[in-house]
Order: sequence, then structure tokens, then C-alpha cells
Amino acid sequence: MHSFGYRANAVVTFAVTILAVMCSLASLSDNFNVPTPTADVKVLNINWFQKQPNGNDEVSLTLNISADLSSMFTWNTKQVFVFVAAEYETPQNALNQVSFWDGIIPSKEHAKFWIHTTNKYRFIDQGSNLRGKDFNLTLHWHVMPKTGKMFADKIVMTGYRLPEEYR
Amino acid sequence: MDWQGQKHSEILMQILLVVFAVVAFVVGYAIGSFQMMMLIYACGVFVTALITVPNWPFFNRHPLKWLDPSEADRHPKPQVTTAASKKKASKQK
Repeated sequence: MHSFGYRANAVVTFAVTILAVMCSLASLSDNFNVPTPTADVKVLNINWFQKQPNGNDEVSLTLNISADLSSMFTWNTKQVFVFVAAEYETPQNALNQVSFWDGIIPSKEHAKFWIHTTNKYRFIDQGSNLRGKDFNLTLHWHVMPKTGKMFADKIVMTGYRLPEEYR
Repeated sequence: MDWQGQKHSEILMQILLVVFAVVAFVVGYAIGSFQMMMLIYACGVFVTALITVPNWPFFNRHPLKWLDPSEADRHPKPQVTTAASKKKASKQK
């Protein structure tokens, strides 16, 4: 501590150490927040349902997604990544997941939303297992904090069924 | 900066930074603004640096009291060289 340079170095070093502690505490404070999100996805229409020349089934859907994710936002939340996936079982695989739609929610003000859309990404099964298939629609989310631990969870919505015939 | 000044400056630096950090965190958490926490802490670090880094006069209140040269002459340092020369001399014998 005998010179200007040593004292400046000591201040900066200690300041950065405390900064790391503060950021850790900010991340830990996220554990006090228990989010209670709600989500509802309606399949409004099966636009078309066909077998591709290579034998894979492809479906086009119109969806209505409404969700209220505002309870996920804390003072340490940068953004929330959210996506809707179809989940179903086939003889080859116990779990197939196909993403239909995704989005990034930048702030609490945008966390209560309602969207009417066709599937953003193509719904193709690797095989022809989709006729009359029961599937779940799952809303997954990843809460991205400003500092620290990332949280992920999902809401599973059951009771969707694809038609028996191609159209 | 004298010895006491260095000690005070270090303790002051640690206390100030911890206090600013606590204030920043509490205020930031209370109003739910991460940005405000960072802003308060940044100002705190700047203020701390301003107080403890430059060589302010109040860090120099305990100057070292050196003996004046005439006093030092009356108490000569023990001579190391004499012992070495004796050794040399004994070897030559």
C-alpha cells in the first residue's frame, strides 16, 4: 500500500471480488421467486396433412398460443426464451419432440401474449406414424438471468389428436 | 504516505467498498433494478478510489522520527567487514 499504483490495484481487486459476490447473491435471490405461468394452446385447423415422396408424414397446423409468463420475471431476468413443441411416442422412439414455434420475450411488459400462427418450423415425422396420433403440446421456457443460474421448466398440455386420413 | 496512513487507507478502502456493496444490493433489490445496483456500486468504487488512492495529507499525520546524523555517528553500525578480514587473515596463516 506504499504507492499510488499499489493502492489503485488493491481497490480494483477488492471491488471486483465484491462484485462477484453481489452477482452470486443476485442469482441466489432468484430462488425466492416461484413462477406461476399459465399457457393455453389451441389447434384451430389442420391446414394440410400429407405423406412426402420419401415416406415421411408432414402436417401444417394453425395454432393459437396464449400465455402469461410475467411471473417468471425478476430483477435479475434478462429475457425468457419460450418454445412450443409437439411430443409424441412412436414404436422407434419413446419421445419425439418437434418444435412448432419459438420466441424471445425481452421484458415483463411483453410476457402476457397471444399469438395466432401457423407452425413456424415444419412438423415432419421421420416415418409415417402421424395418422391418428395422440400428441402433447408442451410449452418449454428458459429463463436467462443477467447473472448466474439459468432456469428451465415446461407446461405439458395433453389431449391433441391428428386426423386418421391424409388431407 | 506513512505507515499508519497505509494501514488506515487499507481498512478504509475495505469498509467503504463493503458498505457501498450492501447499500447497492439492498436498494437494487428493493426497487427491482439490477441497473441501479450496478450504478450505485460503480459510484461507490469511484468514491472509494478517490478517497483511498491519492496521497492525501490526512494519511501523513504520523511521520517517522529519524535520528539526526550527529546522534547516529555516536552509535556506529557493527562492522561486518572486520570479521571477514579476520577469517581471511587466519586462513593465510
